[in-house]
Amino acid sequence: MSQSKSDPSSSTSRVKLLRTFPRFSVSQRWEHAILLLSIATLLLTGLPQKYRTAVWSQTIISSLDRLATIQLIHRVAALVLTGLVLYHLGKAIFLMARRKLPGDMLPTLQDVKDAWNMLLYLIYFKKQKPAFGKYNFEQKVTYWFLFFAIGIMLISGYIMWFPEVITRILPGGAIPAAIMAHSTEAIVTTIFIVLWHFYHVHFERLNLSIFSGWLNEEDMRTYHDLEYNQLVREPRSNESSGDMKL
Amino acid sequence: MSKLIPIPKLPGLSLVVGFVVLVSLLWFTPASASELAQETEEYCLSCHSNADLQTTLPSGESLSLYISSEELQSSVHSPIGIECEACHTNITTYPHPSIDYQTVRDLSRSYYSACQKCHPDNYSRTMDSMHAQAAEAGNLDAPICTDCHGSHYIHPPDQPRTLIPATCGNCHIQEFSIYQSSVHGNALKQEANPDVPVCTTCHGVHNIQDPRTQQFRVNEPDLCAGCHANQEMMSKYGLSADVYSLYSLSWHGVDVSVYQARWPTIQHNSAICTDCHGIHDILKPGDPNSSVNPKNLLVTCQKCHPGASSKWTGAWTGHYKVSLQRTPFLFYVDLFYSSFTPLILWICGIYVALQLIRLTVDRARRSLR
Repeated sequence: MSQSKSDPSSSTSRVKLLRTFPRFSVSQRWEHAILLLSIATLLLTGLPQKYRTAVWSQTIISSLDRLATIQLIHRVAALVLTGLVLYHLGKAIFLMARRKLPGDMLPTLQDVKDAWNMLLYLIYFKKQKPAFGKYNFEQKVTYWFLFFAIGIMLISGYIMWFPEVITRILPGGAIPAAIMAHSTEAIVTTIFIVLWHFYHVHFERLNLSIFSGWLNEEDMRTYHDLEYNQLVREPRSNESSGDMKL
Repeated sequence: MSKLIPIPKLPGLSLVVGFVVLVSLLWFTPASASELAQETEEYCLSCHSNADLQTTLPSGESLSLYISSEELQSSVHSPIGIECEACHTNITTYPHPSIDYQTVRDLSRSYYSACQKCHPDNYSRTMDSMHAQAAEAGNLDAPICTDCHGSHYIHPPDQPRTLIPATCGNCHIQEFSIYQSSVHGNALKQEANPDVPVCTTCHGVHNIQDPRTQQFRVNEPDLCAGCHANQEMMSKYGLSADVYSLYSLSWHGVDVSVYQARWPTIQHNSAICTDCHGIHDILKPGDPNSSVNPKNLLVTCQKCHPGASSKWTGAWTGHYKVSLQRTPFLFYVDLFYSSFTPLILWICGIYVALQLIRLTVDRARRSLR
């Protein structure tokens, strides 16, 4: 359902209507906020531990008490992130069981075509950007990259946290593999978020829909053409906005 | 010719000349000669070469005063002219000044400071040692120079090298016997191996430090690396010289290096070489009694990781490069990340750069229109 907001600063003679479209539910916005905070905390407390031989790290970890505190914060943040992942997966299973999980985020063949056309557009072989639905291939790449990255980080993190318990089930080689994966994956993920995600949501345009929950009409038309056309033709109800009703 | 005929008429003249010569000899030599003789080894040995010469100290101990001339001659000092009085400075003649030492140990502890005169560096190093600390704490048996080097019959202490562990073993009996059965001690004993460490290689010579301190502990891997990171030496024995560099990259090694740099005195238990391989009892990993033999490895790990189970030891990669044969899983993880990381970086970088170019060009065109 699209809402209308009037601009309070405009005069009565010229009322500008700003049409907004719901994009993210309250639950999804909270999920993103918690994800952002927990990942930032994990990164900030994890990097000094990874680079513990470096001088800058040693000014942060200046004493053994500090090290213990940093490790504690890292583990608490990891537990928060674990809770978040379980909630996210649980919700997906819940919706799937009710046949209500929207397939917007699933990668399709169209995404490959979109990516190819986008590349052609970027190198001036095409005049127009491909038209996108609710989630374009860039956003799907973001989601799925982080989905697997967080999975790897959590699994390897718990292996490092409880190595003795884990090796009752898994072979011992899991420990050095986890150590390697945890620290390398963290760096890859950081590079990815900074380069890819920050470019798309801060640089290309300031996209705050994940915090506000809505997108305006212009952005909808520019970046989610297919979804816009569909919504204008048959507005969707709140129940089918892609999430559980809260 | 007639001049060469001896003059039989004057036999008294030769007697007079001979008498004068003899008297003049008596006049000159005896006074100075007797004084020199008193400070020479020969003079001392005129009494001390008696094998039965001994005295009884107030403690009741009997002190042998016998000096073997032959052994003295083969020691390092005597042949280069450093004789008795160099150390026995208070004895210049006979009769000697009275002895005021209660025990034999008293006497040794009093005399060894004489070494300082000629060997000040080694002497002061000894003063910083664990042994000096023990003496200061009241242990009079703590070794002094003469306990290791000998007193009268001093020989180069490392000739042959096998002598060194035996010297230390005089007091450190248990360590000596353990060392002798170790891979290092055995090679020394059996083949007089010139490369294996003897006591002093690891513990130092004069300024021997307490090896039980945290400081000794964090520096210990470097000590082993002295030989085990030496490619040339290790290749002689078919050993890997990478064990140290790989250890330094491992979890334990990085931990220890951080503590070594930051908190060398704070107690920390991340494993160092000796925790797994043993100290004096190091054996070849192939030896069934070795603490790092695959059969015993888990028990060794459990010293620090009590919850470790049989699969745990597969985690150990500290001395091996990641290889497909030995650790296939790790090999593939490594391969994945060494190709995945740059790939992600490049794809993201190129894509965002292209976006940026197109975006900027479009905006510039629009504003120019």
